[in-house]
Amino acid sequence: MFPHSLRIGSFVTVLTIGVALTCLSGCKRSEDAPAAPAPPAAPQAQAFHVIRVDVGNAIGADKKVTAPSASFKPTDTIYASVLSEGASAKVDLSARWTFEDGQVVNEATQSIAPTGPAVTEFHISKPDGWPAGKYKLEVAANGKPAGTAEFTVTN
Amino acid sequence: MPDEKPKPNFGNVKSGGSSTAPAAPASPTPTSAAPAATRTYTVVAGDSLSKIAKKFYGEGNKWKLIFEANRDTVKNPDLIHPGQVLKIPEA
Repeated sequence: MFPHSLRIGSFVTVLTIGVALTCLSGCKRSEDAPAAPAPPAAPQAQAFHVIRVDVGNAIGADKKVTAPSASFKPTDTIYASVLSEGASAKVDLSARWTFEDGQVVNEATQSIAPTGPAVTEFHISKPDGWPAGKYKLEVAANGKPAGTAEFTVTN
Repeated sequence: MPDEKPKPNFGNVKSGGSSTAPAAPASPTPTSAAPAATRTYTVVAGDSLSKIAKKFYGEGNKWKLIFEANRDTVKNPDLIHPGQVLKIPEA
């Protein structure tokens, strides 16, 4: 009798432990394998576009104008930072600087192959000083207007 | 009679620029002839432009061809450095 009860008791104990282990291991598996997250949307290639054009008399290591300004001294080197986004195999970024009635001061073009956010700087200087007056900078990307900035030079 | 203001001279304006974006590769120049393969040479100790010219052209006095082809990296024709890679144009 007693040995039989012992066998039943052992059997129940083993069964209980087995069920508990099965539950534990099952629970653990479900913790280890969380629902697969939705795959991220494939990044879309963003078309190149100019965000902003700043002018100032100095730029930082990141090629951004450190203190945008609309007024310069005749002795200043004038910097323009063109902030852009988007990727392109080739963009001809041009800067056309004009004086008052449209007299061309300088034109320059840089061909870039941006892969994302970029800063492109243009700068001009005049050893004998800028004549006082109003100036305009027109930035174009592949020949299309992309931004402007106006500033004055005062003595 | 109106007194016309003389236009300023912007002929001496200096300009420049740079970008955080890589430069776009230059467009290939359309040509009917197959482009010549670009030869390069890596400078070793004891080299001079005239020695390299003699090596490639058989004449040391053709060093100017190499100098002109490498003006972007060689500022002084008497100063080249071991390890420097020079473009060797066709003679």
